[in-house]
Amino acid sequence: MSALKVDALSKSFGGLRVTADVSLTVEPGERRLIIGPNGAGKTTLFNLITGELAPDSGSILLFDRDITQLPSRRRAHFGMARTYQIITLFPRDTIVRNVCLALLGLSPLRWNPVAAFDRQHRLFERARAALARVGLSHIADRPLSQTSYGEQRRVEIAMALAQNPKVLLLDEPFAGLSIDERREVNQLLFAIPRDVTVVMIEHNMDVALEFADRITLLGTRAEVVADPRTREVYLGA
Amino acid sequence: MSSITPRRAAIGIALILLITLPAWVGNPYYINISSQILLFAVFALALNVLVGYAGLVSLGHAGLFATAGYAGALMLQAGYGHFAADGVAILVALLAAAVFGVLALRSTGIGFLMITLALGQIVWGVAYRWASLTNGDNGVNVTTRPRPFGLSLANADSFYYATLLIFLAAVASMAVFIRSPFGASLCGTRDQARRMNALGYNVWLTRFLAFLFSGFWSGIAGLLFIYYTNFISPQVASLQTSAEVLLMVISGGTATLLGPIAGAAIVVIMKNVVSAYVERWNLVLGVIFVAIITFMPEGLVPGSVRLWRMGWRAFRDRGRANVLRNVSEPPS
Amino acid sequence: MKLRRRTVLKGILGGVSALTLKAPAIAQSAPFKIGLLTVKTGPLAQGGIQMEQGIATLLKEKSNTLAGRKIEFISADTGGNPAGAKTKAQELIERDKVNVILGPLAAFELLAITDYVRDNQTPLISLAAAEDVTQRKANPFVIRPSATSAQCCHAMGDYAAKDLKYKRAATISEDFAFGYEQMAGFQRVFEDDGGKVVKKLWPPLVTPDYTPYIAQIGNVDCVFNGFAGSNPVKFTRAYADLGLKDKIPLLAGWTAMDDALLRSLGDEAVGVVSAAWYSSERDTPSNKRFVAAMQKDYGVLPGGYSAGMYVAGECVEAAIEKLGGQADDRKAFAEALHAVWLTDTPRGPVKFDHLGNVVGDVFIRKCERKGGQLVNTIVKTYANVSQFWTYDEKAFLANPVYSRDYPPAKNLE
Repeated sequence: MSALKVDALSKSFGGLRVTADVSLTVEPGERRLIIGPNGAGKTTLFNLITGELAPDSGSILLFDRDITQLPSRRRAHFGMARTYQIITLFPRDTIVRNVCLALLGLSPLRWNPVAAFDRQHRLFERARAALARVGLSHIADRPLSQTSYGEQRRVEIAMALAQNPKVLLLDEPFAGLSIDERREVNQLLFAIPRDVTVVMIEHNMDVALEFADRITLLGTRAEVVADPRTREVYLGA
Repeated sequence: MSSITPRRAAIGIALILLITLPAWVGNPYYINISSQILLFAVFALALNVLVGYAGLVSLGHAGLFATAGYAGALMLQAGYGHFAADGVAILVALLAAAVFGVLALRSTGIGFLMITLALGQIVWGVAYRWASLTNGDNGVNVTTRPRPFGLSLANADSFYYATLLIFLAAVASMAVFIRSPFGASLCGTRDQARRMNALGYNVWLTRFLAFLFSGFWSGIAGLLFIYYTNFISPQVASLQTSAEVLLMVISGGTATLLGPIAGAAIVVIMKNVVSAYVERWNLVLGVIFVAIITFMPEGLVPGSVRLWRMGWRAFRDRGRANVLRNVSEPPS
Repeated sequence: MKLRRRTVLKGILGGVSALTLKAPAIAQSAPFKIGLLTVKTGPLAQGGIQMEQGIATLLKEKSNTLAGRKIEFISADTGGNPAGAKTKAQELIERDKVNVILGPLAAFELLAITDYVRDNQTPLISLAAAEDVTQRKANPFVIRPSATSAQCCHAMGDYAAKDLKYKRAATISEDFAFGYEQMAGFQRVFEDDGGKVVKKLWPPLVTPDYTPYIAQIGNVDCVFNGFAGSNPVKFTRAYADLGLKDKIPLLAGWTAMDDALLRSLGDEAVGVVSAAWYSSERDTPSNKRFVAAMQKDYGVLPGGYSAGMYVAGECVEAAIEKLGGQADDRKAFAEALHAVWLTDTPRGPVKFDHLGNVVGDVFIRKCERKGGQLVNTIVKTYANVSQFWTYDEKAFLANPVYSRDYPPAKNLE
């Protein structure tokens, strides 16, 4: 049984075929890196896998379950979590409340209109634990708008991890980070237990290649792979 | 044991003022104006659920307000009792809110605004046009007010207390709602709908339920309105009503509990009290709104809090600077 | 900016206002309070301002004293909507404790407050035309010295069929109750007198261009229009511009050819025949005095809105006079108002039927140019016209109230 199986997935926007017949299989516990030039459709592939976009054709299987037609939110309940290349957080809330929202998303409590959210101590404990994993405990109660970019990147990851996903999709988690911050995030990723399958889009080869078990090259196929410069840049060959 | 915080003290004082209002206002006319403020505050709070907490700007809420009002008025006219009329009116308002929600929530932003606007205009059109049911622009009279537990609501005082009770229930329900996990979910859909979806939330359903909640209180406000004016006509469903209540929410401050209440007070007082003394009262109202939007774009209540804090900080820092200067100055 | 308009108004009126801060022990010496519900903002404001001018003219003429009682006059702007009318009525009754209310202007405003004035036992002298207020929902506290919507239109229908010998008519009016009731009254009498209404057009209240409606008119002997507010000016002009003025004669209700509108109209209005319960052309000393005062103080020719409130003031005076010292009992005052019988007002004799509606003259006028000015010259007077026309009251009231669908238009083509 594979963790994630994408089969002959295609998506066009108008006349532009962004995702063309992509297939890939990720085994449980694997760390998979997806690379490709700009415009190769990496983020689009993520959006198709998480259900934010509907494919024109092809199928997506999560642990052998066909999720092609499921809406995004259902996939989350089946164990899929993601981060965004462009930070997508809740700027009016504190960090810990951001993570709480991630936890609440999978809890039936989210429909409760009478309980006091701030008194959901178990939820907040779990959120703080998730923040401890990414080293943000000390600023858990700070409003998100008063945190640095690097910290926000880590909040993104904390939110995804807090959901205890089976498959975690990371969209350029190193984008825009300083060298020090990159090191911290790198450690963070290595600390993710092996029962979580990780698929990552990343341009930064030093950290990405070290992390990945296997690499999928996405692009206009033959041409990209045949182009010696691309081979050199991406594969060091 | 709970301690007395400034916040609790303020709430307590406000409650005492509201409860004793008829005693110190005295004249029934001003008590009626107070009832009117409270009932429009309920309406503005209801709209604020969508505008403030869901980030969905509706220009069709007069449709829900009027639907409940018409349903109640027509039931009463047909000879049903108040209990049945009010119950049916609220159900009808919920049903209308469900229809509005299903149609309008296909979209957000301007799209949502335009669809709600169109739906509100449809309600207005029906009220105006379906004269055999609604009596057209001659409107429907409501001849009696309900007598809960045998208490007459005919005079200004008793109607004020009934309105106050409902107003407090509305405020309490909003306060609980917005502090709840569901309230947090709703705010999440406002700030990052896409992320909420990826996190496992049903964004559409969350918004839809918020719409129903908003519709419920809009309906209650509509019922209060017909009992207050003893009359309903198509103008209640007009775009002007929708725009006015939206103005209350935005001028007072969206996504706050106090904002819509303050907004309702401003609009009602300007329209009804100031207009008796100033012929160009709508000009004054316009100037006030422009001033609010210019100096407190976040609304009157949050804006006043911000300005007060700024002022306080400046005052405190000036004091501190003086102290420092005194210290640094060498003794002569 | 005028902050206490009431005070200012008192100054304008030249009356020695009695402050009401201390209520004197003897009620009789306290001022008699008249509250005016009018519209000073929004699309209906023009008529509303004329209303205030009308009552102000009377109070000035009488030195702010009616039948020996000092008058305190309070004006309130409803904004032209029912909720505003209700709140302002509350203001006048509960806060200012007025003895009588004059107004409001629009039918939907009146309907919003009739129950309220009855419950609060405050007499009201209405200008608004809503039929049922003095018919199926008659109210012992309401009288109407102006006219119901259809009162003049009945006469117009009669005149069109019998005197002008028209056979086929089209009607056009705004799409609201006042329009429905006017057109229904015209249609009923015109058809009972042998004519046929073959087309009824209902443009919305706010219509930027009447061309598409006027274009539908053809093959009729006359067009009867019942526009109100500033719409008649737009409509009459469009009617002439499209070349219909010389082909199909235009008839008009009182609001559509009100004397106050004449200064906004030009040659397009010449020849229009209208039916109205007031005409500034009436050649009597009392009317001449009223018109002269209006011309002097406001530079306008008074129309129905001003005359209606002037006459309403005269009714107040007559009722106070009748009651002597007992005018402060509101119930007695309402009864006295119903019994008022004035033989000489600017509009002519005024008395009320048992439902509180005026029985008075209706004038058929033809618009002409006299010495450069447009005037509505009276060509026929229907005397003592009741709201029921010549119909039996009982049978009349057994029918539904006039509306878009009643009486049914059976001759539409």
